[in-house]
Amino acid sequence: MRKIISILMMLATIAALSCNRSGSKTGKKKLTIAVIPKGTSHEFWKSIHAGSIKAARELSAPSEEVQLIWKGPLREDDREQQIQVVEGFTSQGVDGMVLAPLDDRALARPVEEAKSAGVPTVIIDSAIQSNSIVSFVATDNRQGGVLAADRLGELLGGKGKVILLRYAEGSASTMEREEGFLSEIKQKFPGIELISTDQYAGATRDTAKRSSENLLNRFGDEVQGIFTPNESSTAGMLSALQDIGKAGKVMFVGFDTTQMFIDALRARQLHGIVVQNPFNMGYLGVRTLIESLQGKTVEKRIDTGVTMITPDNLDAAETQALLHPPLDQYLK
Amino acid sequence: MVADTKSIPAISRSNFARTWLNRLGPLLGLILVIAVFAILIGTPERYLSLKNIRTVLAQTVIVAIGAIGMTMIIISGGIDLSVGSAIALTGVITALGINAGFSPTVALCAGILVGCFVGLMNGLAITRLRVVPFIATLGMLGVARGVAKGIAGSQTVNMPETWVNNLLLTVPRPEWLLVAPGVWIAIALAVIAAIVLRNTVFGRRAFALGSNEAAARACGIATDRLKIYIYALAGLLFGLAGVMQMSRLRQGDPTVAAGLELDIIAAVVIGGGSLKGGEGSIFGSMIGALIMAFLRNGCQQVGWPNYIQEIIIGALIVIAVAVDRWRSSRGALA
Repeated sequence: MRKIISILMMLATIAALSCNRSGSKTGKKKLTIAVIPKGTSHEFWKSIHAGSIKAARELSAPSEEVQLIWKGPLREDDREQQIQVVEGFTSQGVDGMVLAPLDDRALARPVEEAKSAGVPTVIIDSAIQSNSIVSFVATDNRQGGVLAADRLGELLGGKGKVILLRYAEGSASTMEREEGFLSEIKQKFPGIELISTDQYAGATRDTAKRSSENLLNRFGDEVQGIFTPNESSTAGMLSALQDIGKAGKVMFVGFDTTQMFIDALRARQLHGIVVQNPFNMGYLGVRTLIESLQGKTVEKRIDTGVTMITPDNLDAAETQALLHPPLDQYLK
Repeated sequence: MVADTKSIPAISRSNFARTWLNRLGPLLGLILVIAVFAILIGTPERYLSLKNIRTVLAQTVIVAIGAIGMTMIIISGGIDLSVGSAIALTGVITALGINAGFSPTVALCAGILVGCFVGLMNGLAITRLRVVPFIATLGMLGVARGVAKGIAGSQTVNMPETWVNNLLLTVPRPEWLLVAPGVWIAIALAVIAAIVLRNTVFGRRAFALGSNEAAARACGIATDRLKIYIYALAGLLFGLAGVMQMSRLRQGDPTVAAGLELDIIAAVVIGGGSLKGGEGSIFGSMIGALIMAFLRNGCQQVGWPNYIQEIIIGALIVIAVAVDRWRSSRGALA
């Protein structure tokens, strides 16, 4: 018993020491903003983090300092854990939250409870089924699908056989991309035949690769163009194409970015990727919240932009800025 | 009866005092955790406000109800690794039931009974197939998770709004309840379980089974049947925890609560339960669950990143068990 107390005391001392710097300064008004991502380890979320820090720094006035708290769910992608984080900030009484909800329904209750406790929320990245929010700041996913269709149609000269490998059932953002892609192809490129649009890649690269292999076994000889709507499906399809030596022979447009895709673009195994702008999303999310807290009217829906990256514009300055946001400048 | 000084209520006065000191150990730990964070955060009135306390209590309910069942299992010398999966499965079943047009009460009972069924299967695998509990429930961890995903079609099951959704609101409806209805349910269950474990033949036999299975059998306890009862009874509680989880998410989520069994086991162990069996108390386990919940809440409010939180909780588990070992080795010498 005595031991446990002494050890806890020790922990407390360590904690107190490490915590001194965050002691509140008197006389200065402080605006505390919590940003809650879906996870914290992916590059995507790091860019959002950097963007939100940029907004906090820009909008900090001498009279009003903006303090940013960055906190994801303890277990990545665990809805219950994310709910606990939102509830924690609500009872802590932060001035506002920027939330990327893991689920459009499960997070609705905590967000509504936050609102009635006087804590407003800006939603970023994925939608939520609730009207109790300040604004929804996210990629226009439909537009992303349209961009992909335009690129693929142009690559194929308006005719050919095309496969859409869908991501996973129930994922709203990728479904919008898929619908944007399909409707644009049907409208703008009547010469293109969609030979498979009902297969799903599943949640991981591994499942994506397996369903890509199955698809290519069946349609490998006739397919001329492929679209995949997110990172894991693009990665799975890319490595399936590489395995059978078809990479580069089929026109292939993917979504999102990793180093693997950049290399494939250079090798012309991928002919285009649609990228989002997470840095801008983090920036606009925090900015919108602060503006609303300052009493300005803000848009209910804010688009953070999608861009098509091809082997030709890969080295352009603005593409590089998009691919490599200045993380170090903000996260160090 | 088997000689078992640890579990049978102490007769001599010094023993009695030590038993109570042991019981209160975790409680002192909890008070310390709360005090430390109240100081660290700098605004104790907010950390200890009704608003924050009822948030933490609502967040503890799922682990607490699970820990009641887990305490029974651990006292009897077993372990159940399938709790997280059972919670996901029963949540999905309840959501599907409500969707299919059954009254929420019926759907809720169905969910709880499925939890019981999962426990029953665990008990049968352990006794009839002679598979050790660790392996039997490890298998069930996969099976129940798979079944949950299968019947949910690998998606979350959304359902219409019913009173079930209000079980764990952080601000209860009606507000004179002070804390969420689920918190009251958990408290009531904990009291009942504590009485059952301490004052009934069933409870005493569970302790005897965990202390020395061979001796318990030699004394005429039908150990196999007792094990099945214990796992099935704990399963009922895991089913209820699943309903609570669904109530919080407002949907049946087949992927939820992965790894939650470890939180639940940690709560029991921090509260003085021994994985060797024969030791543990419901009261201690509840305190263990609260310690972890207050730690999480506190770390967040201080503004520590998640990794510090994980390190602290991990260290705490080891420390709590080390203290427990040290205590019991001293007890053996005395």
